[in-house]
Amino acid sequence: MGRTGSALLVLLASAPAFAEVEFSMLSDRNKVGMQDLLRVDIVVANAPTDAQVQFPAPNGFEVLQRHESTEMSYSVGPGGAGVIKQVRRYTLTMRAVRTGTLTIPAAVLQAGGKTWTTAPLSIEVVKGTLDAEPSPRQRRHASNPFGIPPGMLPPGFGFPDDDEDPFSGIFPQPAIPRGDSDIFMRMSVDKPEAWVGEQVIITLLLYSRVDLSSVDTVQMPKLDGFWSQDMKTPSQLTPEHKEVEGVPYNVFVLRKKVLFPLRPGDYTIEACEADLTSGLMWAGHRLHRKSNEAKLKVKPLPPPGKAQAIGQWRLSSQLSQSQVALGDPVTFKLVLEGKGNLEAVQLPKLDVPASIKTFDPETKDQTNLAKNAFTGTRTVEYTLVPQQTGEFTVPGVTLQYFDPERSRYTETRTDPFTLTVTPSANGQTVAPVPGPVAVQAPDVKNQLVGGGLKQLRHGAQFTAPAAPVWSRPFFLPLTGAPLALSVAFALLSALRSSLGRQTPESLKRQQAKAARKRLASAEKLMGTGATTEFYGEVERALLTFLEAKLGAAVTGMTRAELAARLATHGVPEAEKNRLLAVFERCDLGRYAPGMGEPSARKAALDDAAAAMEAFP
Amino acid sequence: MIALLLSLALAQAPSGYTPEEAKALFTEANDAYYKQDYAAAAEKYERLLKAGLGGKDVLFNLGTAYLASGDLGRAVLALERARKLSRDDDIEANLAIARQKQGDQVVGAETEAPFLQRLAEAMDEPVVSIGFLVAWFAAFALFWRTVAAENGKRLGLTLATLTAFVVSAALGGAVAAHAWVAHTVREAVVMTPTAKVREFPGENARVAFEVHGGLKVRVMEESGRFLRVRLPNALEGWTEKEGVEAL
Repeated sequence: MGRTGSALLVLLASAPAFAEVEFSMLSDRNKVGMQDLLRVDIVVANAPTDAQVQFPAPNGFEVLQRHESTEMSYSVGPGGAGVIKQVRRYTLTMRAVRTGTLTIPAAVLQAGGKTWTTAPLSIEVVKGTLDAEPSPRQRRHASNPFGIPPGMLPPGFGFPDDDEDPFSGIFPQPAIPRGDSDIFMRMSVDKPEAWVGEQVIITLLLYSRVDLSSVDTVQMPKLDGFWSQDMKTPSQLTPEHKEVEGVPYNVFVLRKKVLFPLRPGDYTIEACEADLTSGLMWAGHRLHRKSNEAKLKVKPLPPPGKAQAIGQWRLSSQLSQSQVALGDPVTFKLVLEGKGNLEAVQLPKLDVPASIKTFDPETKDQTNLAKNAFTGTRTVEYTLVPQQTGEFTVPGVTLQYFDPERSRYTETRTDPFTLTVTPSANGQTVAPVPGPVAVQAPDVKNQLVGGGLKQLRHGAQFTAPAAPVWSRPFFLPLTGAPLALSVAFALLSALRSSLGRQTPESLKRQQAKAARKRLASAEKLMGTGATTEFYGEVERALLTFLEAKLGAAVTGMTRAELAARLATHGVPEAEKNRLLAVFERCDLGRYAPGMGEPSARKAALDDAAAAMEAFP
Repeated sequence: MIALLLSLALAQAPSGYTPEEAKALFTEANDAYYKQDYAAAAEKYERLLKAGLGGKDVLFNLGTAYLASGDLGRAVLALERARKLSRDDDIEANLAIARQKQGDQVVGAETEAPFLQRLAEAMDEPVVSIGFLVAWFAAFALFWRTVAAENGKRLGLTLATLTAFVVSAALGGAVAAHAWVAHTVREAVVMTPTAKVREFPGENARVAFEVHGGLKVRVMEESGRFLRVRLPNALEGWTEKEGVEAL
């Protein structure tokens, strides 16, 4: 520390218990740049309680901060008496507003009617900054947690100590801007270089040392060439207290985004802009602030230049059961978790044997934005339905990815698993409907048939598709046949009926014919022993003949009545007697012995036939 | 008489294959199917059909082979033809699978088939026709027996005669329904993967919608190269004859 001047004045020894008053003014350097901060310490030791310090009003400097601290100490003096020392320190943080050799006037201390004065300080001010010669305080903040060379830092940034950074040390400490030192915005990128697909975080901070009422709008830059997602968009202003170059600020996180570069190249992320309101209530002022730009260099992936994922990833798997009955489903869960852009991960498919049917897997992604890292978990759930019995080995899944932190390709994999498929409850060793595309593994059971279809017919009746019965040639004739037959029969009957209604003579002839038939049947009885039946048949034949000839019933008449009826009808006497003789012979034949002889029967038969022939 | 009717009903045309040859060809077709050579299987079944040996079993296997090969149009055609010959669960099951795979979803209330068509579909035609003939002959026989019977036995015969006439009239009506359906209801199946249905019969007509292979439609009328087809939901249009095949 360069000390430009000091004064030690011992003017008063007020009390044996206190040491003498000391009053001095010191600066941390005697040459500064206009962008640098100058620290001036005014030290008052053993001052009376009513002491008043008049601070210098430097021409050409702006006072950014004034800080006061007090220390007390006790020591034993030369005579063995105790001495109490009280030191009050005023620290002014200033910045030059013009170049040249500027003078900071002396500070004045007044107490008990007395005055103490320090020497003025002469400071040489130059343009720009003297970063090549950082002040001790600046040097103390120069630790670099990222290992980034100073030349790669964005303009206006240094590096704070980790323990002083309330924001996890991911962004460097800014320089206080000239002009808008009360409220300013800074955008930081957590790394100056990144691989394609590597996570990059940009943070937009608002520094304020005045009252901030609200942040009305925040306009983020376009992020062409990046896949981005918001990590933090606070709904209310929550400050963190932080010193910047010794100046206390309230720091607000306005936005935080995670970026994943899509293509290599040198990118300049444009400045963010925000509309703010400072002050309280009606005394507020509308302000517009613009942040710095940020630069990022995106490197292409090393050869071969492509990977299924980028980041740090780990694959694991889980099988619901290793033994299953045919047709029952098994659930296989593939879990990918790690850090990186989950949406860009191309997870390989499960390579399942053809004898295990798979359905489209169900995929669930869960991302998490915490601890300055974009992490995620992808769960892919497969449903496997074995179609055949046997043991099937499903190979593991391998994911090759590029690890940007280690700058090399690596891989993560799951173990293969074996699925034992037992026959189903009804003893089946193959699913009934494997489908036309089913392929059998060569070492598993032989099975046929496919497709959810009913099995083929193994026997067939080789008949042509027959025409309907009703359309066959025979149908209509058969249908009409009963009707036609009935009609024909009815006609025939009618015809016969009409033919039967002839003259009485023809009817008589018919009856006579019938009588003769009856006589013929009597003749058949002539050779048998049925004498009574024979003569009875002859008598009925004659009666039938007479009824036909006379046109009236004669059965049951006495012989006298019959003779009278014959006479009435004009039958000649000879014929009448001949007929009555035949009736008489029949009566005798039935009741008198000897009439059963064949000769007698023949005579009776001949007499009857002769009587019929002779009847007029 | 019944034996005569049955023999007439089941009379079949002579084919180019002996029964042994037909059985061997059928077995070859089944083997080809099981080897997943569905095209070869279908070709052999088709040969049996062309030889006049396409009964319901051959048609069922043919439809199943086409269905396995993904030819929905021919599959539905063969299965529907088998269904016309004999209804059973296997045919219905494979037809249901074919409908699931079919590319058209007929949306909207489906119009009900005419009563006579539903009546005809509910009854087996040979059974109805032969049953009608038997009842018809029996009715007339009973009638004449009743006429010839003595007075005391006529009542029972008269009742039996009336019953026989009522039964034969009912069966005759069913036969008539079959005949009506055969003459008036024409159904077809879309055979091409996609068939355009136009607003009127003409190549320049606007395409109203498209139908896909396997859809069963009803043919309403014919005009030149076009058929007016009606979907189950009464949607109608004209499509080219080449794209459909009558059942």
